[in-house]
Amino acid sequence: MSGRELEPPRGKPRRSIAWLAAGGGLVLLLLLPLEVPSRYWLHLLNVAGIYAIAVLGLNLIVGYAGQISLGHAAFFAVGGYTSALLALNLGVAFALSFPAGGLVAGLLGLIVGGPTLRLRGPYLALATIGLGEVTRLTLINLPGLTGGAQGLKNIPSPAFGPIEIATEQASYYFIMLLLALAALLTLVLERSKIGRRFMAVRESEVAADCAGIDPARAKLLAFSLSAIFGGLAGAVYAHFIGYISPDTYGTELSILFLTMLILGGIATVPGAILGAFVVTFLPEWLRFLHGSYMMFFAVGVLLLVIFLPSGVVGAARRLWTRWAYSGDQTEAEREARAWWSRLTTP
Amino acid sequence: MEQLIVSGLAMGSIYALVALGFLLIANATGAINFAQGDMLMVAAYFAITASAYLSLPLALAYLAALLGMVVFGLVFQVVAYRPLRDKPVFTTIISTLAVGIFLRHAVQLIWGVMPLGLPGFFGNQPLQLGDAVIAPQNAFIIAVTLVLILVLHLFLSRSALGRMMRAVAQDAETARLMGIPVDRVVVATFVLSSLLAGVAGLLVAPLFTVSADMGVLVGIKAFIAAVIGGFGSIPGAIIGGLLLGLVEIFAGAYISSAWKDAVAFVILIVILFVIPRGIMGQPISEKV
Repeated sequence: MSGRELEPPRGKPRRSIAWLAAGGGLVLLLLLPLEVPSRYWLHLLNVAGIYAIAVLGLNLIVGYAGQISLGHAAFFAVGGYTSALLALNLGVAFALSFPAGGLVAGLLGLIVGGPTLRLRGPYLALATIGLGEVTRLTLINLPGLTGGAQGLKNIPSPAFGPIEIATEQASYYFIMLLLALAALLTLVLERSKIGRRFMAVRESEVAADCAGIDPARAKLLAFSLSAIFGGLAGAVYAHFIGYISPDTYGTELSILFLTMLILGGIATVPGAILGAFVVTFLPEWLRFLHGSYMMFFAVGVLLLVIFLPSGVVGAARRLWTRWAYSGDQTEAEREARAWWSRLTTP
Repeated sequence: MEQLIVSGLAMGSIYALVALGFLLIANATGAINFAQGDMLMVAAYFAITASAYLSLPLALAYLAALLGMVVFGLVFQVVAYRPLRDKPVFTTIISTLAVGIFLRHAVQLIWGVMPLGLPGFFGNQPLQLGDAVIAPQNAFIIAVTLVLILVLHLFLSRSALGRMMRAVAQDAETARLMGIPVDRVVVATFVLSSLLAGVAGLLVAPLFTVSADMGVLVGIKAFIAAVIGGFGSIPGAIIGGLLLGLVEIFAGAYISSAWKDAVAFVILIVILFVIPRGIMGQPISEKV
């Protein structure tokens, strides 16, 4: 399938408003650390930023390529352990151990993706749960290497030469920079030939195959890329928190990542980020629920898939498209746009 | 040795029962219930409530728990499946996962986080059979599972409702055209599946302790058993379950007990590599 046919329809959307909002948002983001209620808030913002990078990765395989994954925590874990072990045992600098974390996670994705991506739907979900569980068991049962159930302590903060990113404020700017890069990369990917291949496979593997796309290769690429994102995010997490243990990386974390993606809006970049931030802050906002928080969380997830399966951004985008193009001229243009919005939001 | 075989078969029977519950729902609706393992846990808590809190005699408590599971299956169907039956598959995966999380935390809130015990019908006095020494509960599990499988077979092949279930599983649209009330048959399928998980829960609870997480791994392993056997095939699920139970217990005894829980996943990966359609599986092709 040539890229041309999937070109978004050009019209006269009110682009200027979107740019204005984006610019305003950026200024707000830069000033935010000076005006947060507490250090803990800033800490949560940082955690949310790291999660957002992981969720952007998950979005590649789940959102664009349409393959469910419940094992994303495994890549987050492998990236974290790789980078932390390199730093602790061999004294490798963060500038090297961080990409190494992404690389090892990506390799794991490449190896595991081969057999598992032949599966579909629930079977793929099962296999990816298996990946997560086996990873966790491996981390627990190799105490010589991974510190076993106790995990790893005293992981050094990220540092580039003499510049150490130790405070919450410094971490904030560092993490948001990484997040911005990750978001930019996925945006480019979304509009590239590769991204469109992913979406074609999501819509129909048979049709994609007929159009000259190898579905197996497209899925494997999406899975490996998503693993790299997960690994990089995990590496930052390990160095930012300073302490990791197998408990952090259970299937519930994978479910959490998936929930973030669905809440924000599957197959959208802003949705993946928004979801990560909202779900990270949710326990704070719902503190009054105490021990019953997870029950309400589960009910919320259930209501979400029933009433808002395309997420906040998916729903907002549909409204926006309707409004921005409300002065349309021809029936054909309207149809083309409806088709495009269907394609970009499953 | 005999002891290992018996406990392996007993655990395998549990996997088989839960796997059958998976299959019935999957065949009828195409949805996989990721809360199937948690249903088993719910049944155990129902029985504890009936016996310890309402002080019913044990047999009555078990019966009450199974009745509870009938109601549970009905409610579960309405909450987690019905609103999503025309939506993409991933939505039911998420919704059943969410119900599972809800159940685990609700149970902790109601009955506390400490593990509880459910008494079985037999004590812990081992049974002497010739040279072999076996735990009576294990023998009981195998016997009940055998009877249940027979009853299930007769139900599916002889009774009107069972035949309707098979018709819906084969092709829901055609079944509807033949005048079968598909929606009601699906409800019945959910209830039957919930009952099977319930029986498995009551059988397995006296062996271990009753806790919120007791069903998670059993559920995942039962699903693996169904895939090993060739997903969609009822005899396959039973064979897969028994096989998994045996392999697991021997791996735990002779290789390493720390890696026991990883065995199921390793088998899953090997099976997917070697015979992706499972032992009793039918060849499948994607519908265009």
